[in-house]
Amino acid sequence: MEPTGYSARSGGDDLVIRIEEVTKAFQTPERGRLIALENISLNVPYGEFITIVGPSGCGKSTLLKLIAGLTPTSGGRILYQGAEVRDLNTRVGYVPQESKLFPWLTLEENVAFGLDSKRYSREERERQLKHFIALAGLSGFEKYYPAQLSGGMSKRASIIRALAYEPPVILMDEPFGPLDAQTRMVLQDELLKIWEQKRQTILFVTHDLVEAVALADRVVVMTHRPARVKDVIEVPMKRPRNIFEIHRQEGFDEAYGRLWNIFRHELNIRTH
Amino acid sequence: MTIEATTDRTRAVERSGFISKRRVWIFLLRSVIILGFFLLWEIASERWIEAFLISSPSRILKSMIAGFRSGDLVMHTWITFQEILIGFPAGVILGIGLGYAFGRSRLLAEVFEPIIIALNGIPRTALAPLFIVWLGIGIWSKVGVVFLLTFFLNFFNTYAGMRQLDQEFVDLARLMGARGWRLTFRVILPAISPYVFTGIRTSIPFAVIGAIVGEFVAATEGVGFFIRQAAGLFRTADVFVGIIVLMIMVIAMDKVAEWIERRALKWQAASEHVTIQG
Repeated sequence: MEPTGYSARSGGDDLVIRIEEVTKAFQTPERGRLIALENISLNVPYGEFITIVGPSGCGKSTLLKLIAGLTPTSGGRILYQGAEVRDLNTRVGYVPQESKLFPWLTLEENVAFGLDSKRYSREERERQLKHFIALAGLSGFEKYYPAQLSGGMSKRASIIRALAYEPPVILMDEPFGPLDAQTRMVLQDELLKIWEQKRQTILFVTHDLVEAVALADRVVVMTHRPARVKDVIEVPMKRPRNIFEIHRQEGFDEAYGRLWNIFRHELNIRTH
Repeated sequence: MTIEATTDRTRAVERSGFISKRRVWIFLLRSVIILGFFLLWEIASERWIEAFLISSPSRILKSMIAGFRSGDLVMHTWITFQEILIGFPAGVILGIGLGYAFGRSRLLAEVFEPIIIALNGIPRTALAPLFIVWLGIGIWSKVGVVFLLTFFLNFFNTYAGMRQLDQEFVDLARLMGARGWRLTFRVILPAISPYVFTGIRTSIPFAVIGAIVGEFVAATEGVGFFIRQAAGLFRTADVFVGIIVLMIMVIAMDKVAEWIERRALKWQAASEHVTIQG
């Protein structure tokens, strides 16, 4: 199904990202040319929450890196707000797998890092900072260094660091992967609450199918290497959602069932 | 969310009685050993070993006071200190700068790395006579040797730090709009600062060695000259005076560097002493 899904809201100008038949190959010393992504096409309208699932090592993270302009495409192109991504794309926020807060800066300085002094006056900066720190429940820890924070707190800080300067798109690379189940759920809940206020576009990579369905408007399923877009599933659940009882929500079973069917197929291929 | 902060200080307060008692004992024991050593030295001198070989603590003290009174020792110390004061910061700054540049530019690193490693293979103090030929017997030849010894240590440590640098920090910072000055001073240098400080602190004794070696080779003033002259005249007490001056110089410089390091790497200390769960 390529090019994939113009969702209900779409029309040419509503799209923040257009991925057009993008291919990414790496040159490796042992195995020669390795194709990580093949013919990926995807359109992302403003304000959508998209999750990307696929077997580990399939190149999900690579797709985010391409959108961020951290690495060039080998074929095809990515349009970001209408312009082709050729260089570093400073109009996205990036939340890496590990929190990657700058350990030499305090929590406050970390969150303020992206608040450019040319775009934000001193008062705006202060206001923005206070607002986001409160939103993440980190008030009182402003002067702490990352090493003094727990995993969950670091993760929250890492997310609001990307949100604070208000980029139109946030790229999240398995941000909740290394956390324990409880913390994970709490953070998913908080992320949805923040997102419902801000409605920034989010591309969220995960390997957890429940997480993928629970958070997303659409789930993009990718295949094993070379990764292609296997399917895109609309999640018909209403918002706001209750993460803690997500299974009981109308539409969850349907979306999860469809996703699982596709995935089971992928697994079968791999276990033989 | 529960917060549980345990710092060294609070732990120390809890057990302060125990700690201070132990500290006093260790201090006393150490003092006894040091005093015993000096006493033995004083007794051995002249009685068991010739005084011109080992001098004695009382003679050294007398020589030192005399040296400071006449202004002679102060002058020599000042000369050596000047050589270090110029050569050391220059070596530190250029070493860090070039280490940083090598880390940032692959081309630069690929072209020059083997050359720098080859140069590093030269025992650098062996170059001291050459510096005398080039720069004369005044302070500048010593400044050159100090610079050389300092430079390489700082260069290698900074470059090692650059190679360990987590690229993800740099990518993130750049995505958040950091470029140029901000990227360098707010992200990259802090990220490698533990390496940079290791370079600075290990190079301190070598800076002093550089100055002394230079002065040993050819000089008319400086602590190195003072030591060599005293040894030549069998004024052993003065040799020890010179050594003590150098020792104090190294310790003082290291204390200053340590003080700066502690402030600059506060964020690291935080990780060692405080843990919060929640």
